[in-house]
Amino acid sequence: MSLFSWFELIASGLITGGIYALVALGLNLQYGLMRILNIAHGEFLMLGAYLTWMAHTTLGLSPLLMVPVSFLALTALGLVIHTLCFRRLTVTSPNLDIFEARGLMVAFGLMFLVQNFASFMWGGDLRGYDYLAEPVKIGEAQFAGNKLLVFGLALLFSGVLIVLLRFTLLGKGVRALMQSPTGAQLVGIDTQRLHPLMFGIGLGLSGVAGCLLSMAYTITPSMGEPYTVTALIVITLGGFGSMSGALAGGLLLGVVEALGMHFSNPSLKALLSYSVFIAVLLLRPRGLFAK
Amino acid sequence: MKDRQILVRDLLLLLAFAGWAMALPHYGSEFVVSMALTCLMYVALSSSWGLFCGSTRYLSLATSAFFGIGAYTSAVALDSLPWLGAIALGAGIATVVAVVMGAAVLHLRGTYFAVLTFGMTELIRHAVTYFEKKVTGTVGRVLTVVPDRDTIYLTVLALALLAVLVSIIVRRSRFGLALMGIGADEQRAQTLGVNTRLIKVAGFAMTAAFAGAVGAAMSVRWTYIDPHTVFNPFIGFQTVLIALIGGAATLWGPLIAAIVFSVLAETLRLQAPQVYMMSLGLLLILSVLYLPGGLASLRWATFSGWWRDGRGWLRGLGSKERKNG
Repeated sequence: MSLFSWFELIASGLITGGIYALVALGLNLQYGLMRILNIAHGEFLMLGAYLTWMAHTTLGLSPLLMVPVSFLALTALGLVIHTLCFRRLTVTSPNLDIFEARGLMVAFGLMFLVQNFASFMWGGDLRGYDYLAEPVKIGEAQFAGNKLLVFGLALLFSGVLIVLLRFTLLGKGVRALMQSPTGAQLVGIDTQRLHPLMFGIGLGLSGVAGCLLSMAYTITPSMGEPYTVTALIVITLGGFGSMSGALAGGLLLGVVEALGMHFSNPSLKALLSYSVFIAVLLLRPRGLFAK
Repeated sequence: MKDRQILVRDLLLLLAFAGWAMALPHYGSEFVVSMALTCLMYVALSSSWGLFCGSTRYLSLATSAFFGIGAYTSAVALDSLPWLGAIALGAGIATVVAVVMGAAVLHLRGTYFAVLTFGMTELIRHAVTYFEKKVTGTVGRVLTVVPDRDTIYLTVLALALLAVLVSIIVRRSRFGLALMGIGADEQRAQTLGVNTRLIKVAGFAMTAAFAGAVGAAMSVRWTYIDPHTVFNPFIGFQTVLIALIGGAATLWGPLIAAIVFSVLAETLRLQAPQVYMMSLGLLLILSVLYLPGGLASLRWATFSGWWRDGRGWLRGLGSKERKNG
């Protein structure tokens, strides 16, 4: 194999990996921070994608403009969901274990609800639109323009989130909340306000991911589940709650998949990613990069 | 009620249920019988799920894996084995898989366990799909030798009864107490001399045996199976859902919920599938939030509790408005 085809292979793996990292951002915030394993994550991503598709095809708005719009819309939705479901759950659950189990079940309910709402509203057909579909040349390799754009924005959002969490006061509060909710409350962090906000932002980020994905891929009401699984794999690889870990884990998974698919065959892709997932959960449940 | 009286009551209830279900094919229409069959399938699945997962609070999402394994086994073996032999083989293989899987993952608790069992289910599904595509060269299998409807019905009924009966027996045995001890506080159970690892694997295998047998019996209903239908994660989700909504730790909860669900499913699904699924989701959320013990824990006190909560909430709203105004 020539050096060039290696480059092309790894670059396409990295691009897919960047998208994986983007998909995982919201879930990472929700699970790492609040122990809410939002299995409906992919469904909210799908909502973001449909919002963008609708705005683009009926109103002619640019998908890029829809990035902040779907962020805000889904953040608002997240605040509502948190108030309706998870606040009561936090109050009534006797301990964190039970809270996690119940939260998971509520998320399952949300998954059924949102997915079928979408197929009720928009039907089960494949949808999509063309946006920046012409290939871009880098050296001799060719990449789809929209995928490059999505990749770039994915890196940007991950970077912004990492910086935000590491260097601002808000980020410090959030990280404190991750380590110990009671401790955070004791040092005067307003957990009652931070909790719903973070849940909302988690959903908002999945909306952003959906919006960006709709530029490059076709969308259906049932598109969510594979993305949820991918997001789960990525955050397990990176260690729950670690943003830089998730970014590295996503890129790694993309490259592993690309290489694996090249050297075996494409129908093994799902098998490969599930094997990686299970192996990591069993052998390094704290993530690949944990000390 | 004394312990013995409860046992007698449970056995009598089970007997009455069995008699009613046995008589159903003789007077019910084709539609009613097929509905009853689905209902019995979920009674068997969720009762056996509750047997392990309800008492130990290990949330397993692997039911569809065992169900699919059973279904595939009977699809492959039915040509050469008698009907009951195929079902036993399905249950056996599911048990073996469960023992291996359980030994690997049962040291993890909570969400890790749930996610892992889900991941393993998907892994098995993709592995079977890949195997069928590459080695057998087909996607699905057509079942040619199929027993008649009454045989299937009676088999599934027997499995459902067996599942409830085993639950009754296990609850009164040392094994059942050990399972409940693990659910209450695993470390304490260990300290008190329970071999938790062995008990957990045994319980998990028991659940899997039932799911495998039910899968083996139900696969002939479809006459054509492919990995996508029999390993459908939805079968696992719905089992968990039924058990949780009914009350996973109770004996009769899963049975009640299975009946409610099958009626709801058959009446709503054909006219408005999305509405059915949406109401399923909504029911799940509501039951987790407001009825964490399940339908079987519903008492008059529950309603008065809601009434109090609701009034308190309204009063809270009122006082807020006064403050603002």
